[in-house]
Order: sequence, then structure tokens, then C-alpha cells
Amino acid sequence: MINMISKNIAVVEALNVKKTYMLGKVPVEALRGVSFRVEQGDFVSILGPSGSGKSTMLNLIGALDKPTAGTLLIDGVDIGRLNDNQLSDLRRRIGFVFQFFNLIPRLTACDNVELPMSIADIGKSERRKRALELLETVGLKERINHKPAELSGGQQQRVAIARALANNPKFLLLDEPTGNVDSKTASEVLSLIQNLNKEHNVSIIMVTHDEKLAHQAKRTVKMFDGEISSDEVN
Amino acid sequence: MKTIDVFGYSFNAIKLRKLRAALTTLGVIVGIAAVVALLSITQGLQATITSELNQGLSANTLIVRPGSGGDVGGFGQGASGTGFSLYMNYTTEINALSPDIEASVAVMSRSGYIQTENLKQSATLYGIDFNQYAQVYPTFKAETGSIPTDPSENQVVVGTRINQPGQNGTIFFGTGDTIDISWVNATVLPPVDESYRAVVAGVLEEVGGFGSSGPSDTGVYIPIETAQSFFGTDQCDMIIVTLKDSDNATVTSVSKAITDHFSNQVSVTSPTAMIDMLSSVFDTIQLFLVGIAAISLLVAGIGIMNIMIVSLIERTREIGILKALGMKSRSVLSIFLAESAIIGLIGAIAGIGLGYGLAVIVAQVLGSGVFGGGGGALAITPLLTPTVFVGALAFGIGISVIFALYPAWRASKLKPVEALRYE
Repeated sequence: MINMISKNIAVVEALNVKKTYMLGKVPVEALRGVSFRVEQGDFVSILGPSGSGKSTMLNLIGALDKPTAGTLLIDGVDIGRLNDNQLSDLRRRIGFVFQFFNLIPRLTACDNVELPMSIADIGKSERRKRALELLETVGLKERINHKPAELSGGQQQRVAIARALANNPKFLLLDEPTGNVDSKTASEVLSLIQNLNKEHNVSIIMVTHDEKLAHQAKRTVKMFDGEISSDEVN
Repeated sequence: MKTIDVFGYSFNAIKLRKLRAALTTLGVIVGIAAVVALLSITQGLQATITSELNQGLSANTLIVRPGSGGDVGGFGQGASGTGFSLYMNYTTEINALSPDIEASVAVMSRSGYIQTENLKQSATLYGIDFNQYAQVYPTFKAETGSIPTDPSENQVVVGTRINQPGQNGTIFFGTGDTIDISWVNATVLPPVDESYRAVVAGVLEEVGGFGSSGPSDTGVYIPIETAQSFFGTDQCDMIIVTLKDSDNATVTSVSKAITDHFSNQVSVTSPTAMIDMLSSVFDTIQLFLVGIAAISLLVAGIGIMNIMIVSLIERTREIGILKALGMKSRSVLSIFLAESAIIGLIGAIAGIGLGYGLAVIVAQVLGSGVFGGGGGALAITPLLTPTVFVGALAFGIGISVIFALYPAWRASKLKPVEALRYE
């Protein structure tokens, strides 16, 4: 019973979310009223061509930006009502994996994974222990003291995923996870993500323009011109 | 984010750009070193001069000289040409002026020279009452021989540079030896050399470079009665008045009583006032020099600001990442300020070391001749007081942090979405 309820808690819930940018003096409607729901344990891909509003959606779900109108609940919190500090706190519950990995170049793999925990005030010994566990989970046990420049694209992507998992986030948010790696690495990264979802019950939201990749998720939300054009279980 | 992690992260960022950080730090080092060097030197100099003055001039004395020119505290020998003369028996008049006066001592002085078989040495000849003079000046003390309490007319006491003028260990004569004492009497025409033969009863302990009216290393001290007949006059050149109290009020009121009594025809000099004046002159010089040095710190601060702004632009994306990972604006601000504070701390510590080192070198140069010139080298010990140390440290870090405030604030205000998009 408890299990069932927790399974049905929404990690992300969007209700008629709108976002308008000012491009110079011209308002641009990036999102024109988007509603959808991602539940605990879900694996959702948000698919769309460039200009469809998926990057805007990504920024909102990542709590990097606030909607112009509508309600966006992340882990049950309406981000439209949060100030900068509260948004920062909320981001610690989101496992953001950037398109270009965005590792800190001067830090080792292990230090990069430790960084979010350091930001969340976790002590040195505890975060080192967890970072080593995570790097082992993503299969990088042998590379902990390497700097990003000494790692391949796929390895950097794994460090980025380990980093995203550091603070036990409510969900992983991946931006074009295979956009900057070769196809072999891409399939390895994908199976890692699928494994995290299946074995570790990590909720996953993946933003991509790659239709093939998107259909590897349990569910695909298609976006076009700032609106959701379809929302289907794969 | 924990403070230790903030500093750890900042230190890591500094390490990445060692040359840049080193050059930025150099600015702080130069500024702090200049301030510390100047402060150490001037404070050391001030301490040396004040202590030598205190030795040479007892704080509870007034020096009365003929002439109306000198203010209290003046260095001069007093203006002359007024026709007014001090006589030895004026001591009685002066003693009666105020109950605060302990005693008065008349001093006669002439430029002259002494001669032995193998030495001719210029000297200042003083005619004094040995007992009274010794009471006024604790430095009037014999190192060898003794100061006779009831001197016979041919006994003299000499300063340490009279019998060993080279200060190199060569002693030309000692106690018990006879010397010829001469002065040029210019009160008659043509001037005549007057001289007499005296026996050295004692050699004084070294007094030091400053003793403008107290015992001097280049003085020859003759019993007052001998001086009266030798110089052929009852006029004296100054009267030293000792007071029962050395506080400012007493010094001022007695000084005024004496000048009033002699209808402003004498100048009264107070060592206390002189030291006070000297101290305030030193404070002003110090403030001025440190002010100039502080400008270099300002330049260092601008350098820090400049480099921090460059760093901010270079690291825009990094700041975006940190914020996306949940870092609060406050922590971003702290990271930038911590970087600057580390630079300030290293710069300040190195600057204090370098500054003190410079001060020691300058002090040695000054002590070894420039000031010395054979007339009593000025041994300066640079002073690095705890106040200066802590102040320099705080100033170095403070300047660095203040100039980093603006770049740090801008960094903290970056919007994560825009920062992440920055290439």
C-alpha cells in the first residue's frame, strides 16, 4: 500500500506552464501552456526539434528558471513561488546531466562527484566514500584520480552521471545524453541509464532531439512549437 | 557550503593559474612591504632618538639660555645679539622663583681643544660644578677613574671620544695623565690662545649621539672655579634648572616664571617639550610616508579587481555549473572573496617579511655611516610592533577583499541559465 502511494507521487508536475522570453523588444512564447506529469520510477523522454521549447522545458524542470505562468511542481514544490536561495536548495534534489558534461576541468573525477555534496554541506569523509561508490556504479573505479581532460567522452559522461546522483536526487535530468559521444559509447551510456532506472529505481527525464534514443525510454513526450504534440508509452 | 570547502575550492582555483596569482600577489607584497618597511624604520628611529634624548636630557630639567628667540622646545642655542648675559649667580634668583624648582646649575662652555704628546683633538670645554651636574644628569658618570667631589683646580673629566677619538680601541691617554687644555680667546684683539695643564681624573661612560645639552662624548669638564679664571668671566652660557616634578603644568609654569623674570631675554628649553615635539614631527612624517606607500596598495587592489573581473568572465560557465548543482549565490560570493583573501593573506605575510627585511638593511646602512659620520653612529633597530604586524595583515587582506567585492557580487548575481549558455 505504502509502496503503491510512493510510486504514484509525481516528481514533476506541470500544469499549463507558459514561458515567454523577451528577444530584444519582441516577446517569444517558448512554452504555450504545457501540462504533464512524471512519477516516481518513470523514464520519460522529451523529444522535439530545436525551437520546440524542449530546452526551455529542461531549464524549468532543472529549476534553473521559473515559468512565466502556470504551475510547475518539482518534488511537490511550486518553483514559481521560490526565491533564488530556495531554488538553489531545490536543485540539490535534481540530478542534472548536462549536454557537454560540464565537469570542472581542474578537479579529478572523484572531486567532481564530491562537488555537489560539498555544496550540500556534507563532510569530507562521507562524500569521498559516496563518490567512490558512485564511480564504481558507473564503472569508473579505475579513473577516480583522472581529470576530465584525461577521460574519454563516454567516461566524462559517466562522471557527470555519478555527479548527478551524488545527493540522492528525486530524478535524473539528462540533456542530450548521447549528443557528444560516439554510437558505441552512446549505447553504453543508454544501458547505464536504463540500468539505473530498472535496478536502482531512479526516475529519469531525458531531453533529446534523437527519435531513436527517445523511444528507448518508457514514455515519450513529443513537443512542437511550445506545446506537447503527443505523450505516448513506448 | 562549509567554510573549509569554500577555501579548498578557492585555493584549487588559484593553483590552476599560478603565474597570474603570483603576479597579483606581488602587487600586495610590494604595497605591504613598503608600508611595513617605512613603519619599522620610522618607529625604530623614533624609539632610538627618544631613548637617547631621554638619556641625554633629564625629563625634569629646563635649560635657560640668554636670548629671546627660542621657544620652549626649540633646538637652537638661543638667539643672540640682545646684549643680555646670564651670570652664574643668577642661579640664586632662579631658585627663588618657584617652589617647584629643586636646584639650578650654571654651565660655561667654549669651543677649544686638548693636546698631548701625540694627539690634538678639538673639544667642547664645559665649566661646571661636578656634584650638581652629576645630580642633574645620571649619564655624567665615570667609566674609568672617578668624578672628584671636591676637585682641585687642575682636575678634569673627559668624554669617551676625547681620549679615544677614533673609537677603534686606540686610547691616547687615561686617568692620571696630563693634558693641555686650550681655547682661543677672541674677546681681545688679536685673539690669543689660552691654555693650562690639567690632570685627567675620570673618563665618562659613552653617552651616545644625542645629548644636545647633557653630557657629551666630546666634552671636557672643568671645575667651575677653574673655568671662571680660565675663561676670565662670570658669565655663563646656560643655567640648567631641575624641577621637583616633570609634568607638563610644572614645566610650563616654571618656564614662564623664568622668562618673565628675565623680561623675555632668555629662552627656556624643556626636554620634555622637545621630545613631545619630535614625536609629533615623527608621527606626521610617518603618516605622510605610509600614506604614499598605501597608494601602492591601492594600485594592488585595482590589480586584484581587474584580475577578478577577468576570472569572473572566464569562469562564467563554471559559475553556472555550480549554481545548477545547487550552490547558493552567497557561496559563489564567498568563493571569489576567499580567493582574494588567500591572495591578500599570502601577499601580506610575504610583504611583512620583505618589508622588515628591507628595514633591517636600511637600518644597517644608516647605522654604518650615512648618519654616523664619526660623530656618534645612530644605531637604529627597526621596530615591527604587534600593532603594525596585525595591522598590515588586516590591511592586506582587507584591501584584497574590498576590491574583490564587486567582481564577487557580479559572479553571485549570474543567472544559471545564461551562465551555462556562455561559451
